[in-house]
Amino acid sequence: MVEGRADGEAVVSAKAFTFAHGVDPASGRVTDIHSDLRGADLKGKILFYPYGKGSTTASAWFLETVRLGNAPAGVVTGSPDLSVLIGSLLAKSVYSKSIPILCNLPGEPSTVKTGDRVAVDGSTGEVVVG
Amino acid sequence: MQLSSNEERMLKGEAGEAKQLSMEVLTKVGEAAGADRLVPIKSAHVLAHYSSLHEAGIEVLEKFANGGGKFAVPTTVDPASIDLVNWRLFGIQEEYARKQFRLCNAYARLGGILCWTCVQYQVCNFPKAGEDVAWAESNSVVFANSLMGCRTNKITSGLDIACAIAGLTPRFGMLLDENRQASVLFSLAPDALTDLDYRSVGFFIGKIAGSRVPALSGLPAGTTSDELKHLGSAAAASGPVTMIHYVGFTPGSGSLQAVSEGRKLETIEIDRKALDEVEGELNQTEERPDLVALGVPHLSPSELGELARLIRGRSLKRGIRMFAYTSSLGYEMASMSGIRSDLERAGALVSHTTDGEISPLKQMGFNVVLTNSAKMAELVSTEGEVELRYRPLRGILDEVME
Repeated sequence: MVEGRADGEAVVSAKAFTFAHGVDPASGRVTDIHSDLRGADLKGKILFYPYGKGSTTASAWFLETVRLGNAPAGVVTGSPDLSVLIGSLLAKSVYSKSIPILCNLPGEPSTVKTGDRVAVDGSTGEVVVG
Repeated sequence: MQLSSNEERMLKGEAGEAKQLSMEVLTKVGEAAGADRLVPIKSAHVLAHYSSLHEAGIEVLEKFANGGGKFAVPTTVDPASIDLVNWRLFGIQEEYARKQFRLCNAYARLGGILCWTCVQYQVCNFPKAGEDVAWAESNSVVFANSLMGCRTNKITSGLDIACAIAGLTPRFGMLLDENRQASVLFSLAPDALTDLDYRSVGFFIGKIAGSRVPALSGLPAGTTSDELKHLGSAAAASGPVTMIHYVGFTPGSGSLQAVSEGRKLETIEIDRKALDEVEGELNQTEERPDLVALGVPHLSPSELGELARLIRGRSLKRGIRMFAYTSSLGYEMASMSGIRSDLERAGALVSHTTDGEISPLKQMGFNVVLTNSAKMAELVSTEGEVELRYRPLRGILDEVME
C-alpha cells in the first residue's frame, strides 16, 4: 500500500490492533491492555496484525511515533488499515521518512512468528522470512 | 483510479501545495481501498484533540494551512482536549493548553466551523438524506449512516483534512449500496432498558459484528435519538461498526423484511446475560471514584435537563467531581434556562468544547473515573492510566450524591 523496503524482527499480534491509546509514541511500546503485544517494543520492528480497531486518530498516534523516532520499520496487516497507510503517507510528506505498509494475503500472518527475521517490500507486497 | 482533469491538475500542484498534498492522500487511500474514483462531498467533520493528534498532528495541520489550504465544504470541528474557555478551572497546565490552542488556530486558518463537538449532527452540521459526506469521529459516522440517510466512511485523522480541503472523498465502502446491506441480525429480547443497557447493547454489537453491517431488532418503539446516539457510539468504540440498521428507525429499514430483502441473516440474541458480561468487562474496579464523567459523546440540551431534574436538591459528596460534557450550544441553552445553575448548585460542572475520553485525566488529578459511557470506559481503559467504573446513571447518582 505504501512503497519502500524494510527488514527487521517480526512482532506478530493475533488480535485487532490500534496505535490510538495503544502505543506510547515516546517509547514505541505497546500499552493497550487488550493487546497480546502489551509491553512489546515496536521501534525498528516489522509489525504484523490481522486488522485495525478503535479510534480514527490512530494515524496521528502512528505519525507521532514516527516523529519521535520510535515507529516500526514496516507494517503488515491482514486487511487494509487506512490509519497506518495515512500515517505513513504523511510521514513521507512531513518528516521525509519511509515506512512501507503492506496488506498481505489472508492467512499470511499465521506463518510469521514473533522473533522471525523478515524483509518486506511495499511495492511488490512481498514478505520474506529468514 | 479514474481522475477528472481538474483532479489531475490538483494532484500536479497547480491548485497549490495544500490541495496537492490532499490529492496525494486521497488517491493513495482510494487505490488501497479499491475506489474507482473520487466523489464530491457536501460536508466534512475533522478531529481536533491534542491528546491524540500530538505535536505531529499540529505540524500536519500547519503544513496544510501554510500551503494555502482552505476547507472547500462546510467543515465542523470535533472537541478539543481541554475546555477552551475554562481550562484553568479544570486543572490543565499552561504548556498543554498552549499546544491545544496552536492546533485550534490552525483550524481557524483553514476555515473550520469551530463548534468543538462530537455530536455535530445535533448542533450545526445537517446534510440532507442521500448526500455523501466525509466525517471523522466514529459515533457521528454511525449516526449519519444509520439515522440521517447520509453516506460516509469512518474517515481517519489526516484523511479528514484532505477530504475537507479537496471537497472530495474516495468512493468505496459505505458510499456503495452493496456494502450497506445488513449481513447479521442482532435480536434484543423485550426487556426494560436502562441508559446503560443501550450502551452495552452497542458495545456487544461492535464486538461481535466485526466488519459485517449489523441490524438490530427489538428496540422499544419509544427509543430516542439520544439513546441511539449512545448505542451507536458504544458499537463504534468496541469494533469497526459504521452503520447499524435499527429496524423500525433507519430510513429504508422499516421492517425486518426490508432489512433482509429475502436473505437469510445469521441471528444473534442479545439477552440479559450478554449485557451483564459487557458490564463486567467494562467495570474494572469497585474503588471510590474521584470523577464522574457524563456526556461521552456530548449530552444534548434535553439530556442536560434530565440530569438537572435528577440531581436538583441533592449535593455531590466531598472528594468527588462531576463533569457534564456538552456542545457549546448545549452550554448556552443550559445557561439561559437555568439548568446550568441547577447542576452547579448540586456540585456538577458543565464543560464544553471538550470531552472526557480525550482529556488528560491523569494530569487533571483523576485516578478512578465513574461513567455510564461505554466509549469512555473502553477508550480510556485501553491506555491503562486511570481505572474505570461503568454504571447506570441512577446508580451513579445514588452513590455520589447526598
